[in-house]
Amino acid sequence: MSPTDCERVLEQIELYLDGELVSAVRVEVERHLGACGDCTGHADFQRKLKEVVRAKCGCRDVPPELMERVRSLLERSHDHPA
Amino acid sequence: MARSQAAPPEDPVVRERFERDALPLLPNLYGAALRLTRNPQDAEDLVQEAYLRAYRGFEGFREGTNLRAWMYRILTNTFINSYRKRQREPVTVSVSDEDTPDWYLYDRIGSSVAEPSAESEVLEQIPDEDVQRALEDLPEVFRMAVLLADVEGFSYKEIAEILDVPIGTVMSRLHRGRKALQRALWETVRERGLVTD
Repeated sequence: MSPTDCERVLEQIELYLDGELVSAVRVEVERHLGACGDCTGHADFQRKLKEVVRAKCGCRDVPPELMERVRSLLERSHDHPA
Repeated sequence: MARSQAAPPEDPVVRERFERDALPLLPNLYGAALRLTRNPQDAEDLVQEAYLRAYRGFEGFREGTNLRAWMYRILTNTFINSYRKRQREPVTVSVSDEDTPDWYLYDRIGSSVAEPSAESEVLEQIPDEDVQRALEDLPEVFRMAVLLADVEGFSYKEIAEILDVPIGTVMSRLHRGRKALQRALWETVRERGLVTD
């Protein structure tokens, strides 16, 4: 595994994890990751970072009455069309 | 784009379709609104205004196209046009990424933990509110890109449509936003004593 290979693959990791690589490049990256523990460590960490941001910044506590408020707002908009 | 001055849909079928397809998106839209406005009351107001605009523009929405992206586009436009001016300015975050390597956080956590696999565990230990604050303190254009990609799971193409910018701009904002986020998270990791210096 040459350092140049690793460098090229690491540059693609962000796009790879975002699912934005064209398939030929994706296959190449995956082949490299299958054989290179160091790059796999980098990719796993970055994947985990995305997961943590998603899990911790997603919303779990929607105010229970908000849905009803929106419904009633839409209903009322028929009485007072702008 | 929905215009708030458009009339609500007259056709009951269209109204039912809006209730059926658009209302279930509310929890996610509220979550995004919370990260954009950074407080629950403004988030509720933003969601209500966005829904009203969407409802009034819904007859112009083509069924079968991407409703979720359409709703987020209305939400972000409503935020930019109506709410942003009222917002407190975020804590200044350095986004001068010339001096931030791509693997900033990995390299720092990696050199502070004994086990090679422990880097990911450190991320898990960061309290939720610290990650939320790190995201909320990003400058707005970076925050929106990271929110839409990493929290909401939109593709680059969808984000480009939502924010009405070229895909290259989405990529650049994401890259810079994520680096700024890494810097903020590293500060948290250190302050919380999650690694030994």
